[in-house]
Parts: sequence; C-alpha cells; structure tokens
Amino acid sequence: MRNGKYILFWMLTVLVPINIYIVFYYAPVERTMGIVQKVFYFHVAAAWIGLLAFCVVFGASIAYLRRRQDRMNHLALASAEIGTVFISGTLLTGPLWAYPIWNTWWTWDPRLTTTLVLWFMYVAYLALQSGGATEARKRLSAVYGIIAFINVPLVFFSARWWRSIHPIVVSSDGIGLDGKMRLALFSSVAVFSLLYIYLVPLRMKSIALREQVRELKAELFR
Amino acid sequence: MPNFWGKVYLVYLKDLKDEIRSFHHLVGTLVFGVMLVFISSYALQLVESDTDRVFPAVLWVSVYFAATLALQRAFSKEHEKGSLDALLLASGDRGILFLAKFLCSLTVLLILEVVVIPLFWVFLGVSAPDLNMGFFFASLFLGSWGLAAIGTMLNGMTVQLPGARLLFPVLMFPLLIPLLMGAILCSQGAVSGEVQSTMGWVYVLLAFDFVFTITPLLLFDYVLEG
Repeated sequence: MRNGKYILFWMLTVLVPINIYIVFYYAPVERTMGIVQKVFYFHVAAAWIGLLAFCVVFGASIAYLRRRQDRMNHLALASAEIGTVFISGTLLTGPLWAYPIWNTWWTWDPRLTTTLVLWFMYVAYLALQSGGATEARKRLSAVYGIIAFINVPLVFFSARWWRSIHPIVVSSDGIGLDGKMRLALFSSVAVFSLLYIYLVPLRMKSIALREQVRELKAELFR
Repeated sequence: MPNFWGKVYLVYLKDLKDEIRSFHHLVGTLVFGVMLVFISSYALQLVESDTDRVFPAVLWVSVYFAATLALQRAFSKEHEKGSLDALLLASGDRGILFLAKFLCSLTVLLILEVVVIPLFWVFLGVSAPDLNMGFFFASLFLGSWGLAAIGTMLNGMTVQLPGARLLFPVLMFPLLIPLLMGAILCSQGAVSGEVQSTMGWVYVLLAFDFVFTITPLLLFDYVLEG
C-alpha cells in the first residue's frame, strides 16, 4: 500500500499530459461548436467524480454509523472535500460552454439544478464537519451525509419533470459520440478517477494527523 | 401505560402546551413572519409585478425563512434545560420523540401560515378569481409537512453541536429544494384554478413527505444517541 501512492503519483504524472494531448489533438474539433466543446471532457469527468465522491460519502457514513471507526469518518470527509473541488470545477466549466452554445450562463435545467444543490449540500456537510472532531459531530455528519444522498434523486427527478435542455450524451441507448471523442472522454474520466483515488488517501492521512495534533494540543494545555 | 401513538400524543400535548406557555417564542416567530410579508409585499409593489403569479413563490420563500425560527424550537427547549434524557427515559423510544416533535413543529408552522396568508392576501393585493380553496390548503399542508419533518430532524442535530445554530438554514435549504418546487407549483395551481394539470406535483410532495418522514424515523436513534 505504501508503494501504491508512488505508483499512482508517477502514473498520473505520465497520464495527465497524455490525456491533455488526447483531448486537444487526438479528438477532432467539433464541427458546429468549435474549440469550446473541449471543455466537455473535463466537465463530464469532474461531474462524474463529484457524483462518485458523494456516493463514497454516503457509503462511508453508513459504515461509520455501524462500526464507529474514525477511518470511515475521515474517508467521508476527504471524499466530500475532493468532491466539492470537482463539483465546483463542473459548475465553473459548464457556463464557459453554455454561454456560446445556449447563449446564457445559467439555466434551471435538472442537471444544472441538481449539481448546484449537490454543491450546496457538500458545502453544508463540510460546514457541519468543521470545528472540532467530536464524537457528536462525526455521528451527525454521517446522518447528514445519508439524508443528503437520498435527496439527490428527488431533486433530479422533480427538476427533470419541470424541464430539460441539457444535452444527454450518455444515455441508456449508448453514447452519442464520434469514436475519437469517445476515447478522449473515457481517458478523461479514467484519469480524473485515478486522481481521485490518489487524492483521497492523502487527504485522509492529513485529516487524521490534524486530529492527532488537536488531541496532543488539548493534552498539552490541559 | 399508553401505547406508541398514545405516547406520541402525550409528548405532542406537552410540547404544544410548552409552546403556548412560552408565549414570547411563538409571538417572535409570528412577528417575524408578518415582517416578511410586509417587506416582500412592499418590495414587490415598488416594481408593480403581477401579484397573482408571484404570490405562491413569495409565500413559500417567506414560509421557509420564518421556518428557520419556528423549527428551531423542537429540541432546543429540552437541550437548554437538560431534560432530554428524562424525556427519553419516560417515552422509551426515540421515534416517539421525533414524531411528537414533528407534529408540534407542523402545528406551529400551520399557525404561522394561518396568520401570514390573509396578510399576504391583503398587502400583495392577490385577487385569484379562480382560487381552489381545498387544493390550496392541501398544498399548504403537504408543503409544511415536509418542512416540519426535515426541520425537526435537523434541529435535533444542531442543538448538540456548539455554535451550529447558524448552520440550521444552511443544512436545511438544500434538502428542501424538491419540496419548494412541489409546494410552489401546487399553490400556483390552486391560485390559478388549474388543479388538473398540477396534480402530478401533489405526488411529488407526497413522495417527498413520505421519504423524509421515514428516513429521520430510521436514523433518529443515531441522532439522539448518548
């Protein structure tokens, strides 16, 4: 496991430039949208990590309530922090594409609404977790992580019922993309996933260390 | 010994009595609600908007904000006096406490709405010639139900964390987005008299209320642990 971190680090050092090459040079420029379509590869990959991280928060929260291992709380917190960064990336890259294509920065489409609500719940979760890792705080954050996750499909389906203009590239009918573009999308999603897998343990470690420092300080100044 | 629902009823009565006796909290909430009516009606008349159309949205936004005060009472009173353990021992089940507190919060919200809505009607100048009264009350009830359920649960959480009171709306609002949509669209349907086309949103509200009454019930053992 110790080596895993270094292997991942070197893999990412090689793969991130390759991914950027694939996205910008290998995948063709989209005919009608032009170069701005390139943001799609990062946008979708970041959104994927945002959702994945939220699922991890949910799973780790349940595990924490069951077993009460601090490790599970650290996993949930680390995942939420990284998820927030990626979801913010999705929310920032979306308008860059939407303004030239839809002629508006923002619209209340179900995917956009759900992503924004997800971002708010992430931030609320982080606010709940911040400020002293007491037993009550860990337990209640886990409870919030669970309810927030249950809320995601409710937001999505009620918003979809209202209206939708967001392009659906990946659906149950397959993927509506040219082969080279598809490869670029897969490569982006894979690299972003690796990055997530690399970052989570690092962040967990630093959270655990922070807690240790806090405990030592409390002991020292008692 | 009363059975489960008997106990819920007893705790509910106790809380309602407490709410009426500690009058200043209820009055404070109501005055805040009236203030919201005044501010939003005043702001909207300045820009001369179509009141019948904006009324449902303004109403629910005001109810949400007033609820941040109204719903912060459920567990605060016990927490301040340190009597939560006694109440837990007496009732023997955390689900009973949740249901009773939830019903009390719902009652307070409904009282708030009874005060606020006629004022809205007057200050905003809502005409609503095709108003469907029954559907309007149904939308109010279902909307308040979900609001009270989530609020009660989150209040049970935030009282345990020092300084988390400020977080209450931050935690609550994102969870309430589907409810906000359903409640506003149902009220809109009632005000414009188009009940048939908005029936679907009643099911959204029902689904939301169901999910967020059952989930807190299941998780409440963890919320009030220790």
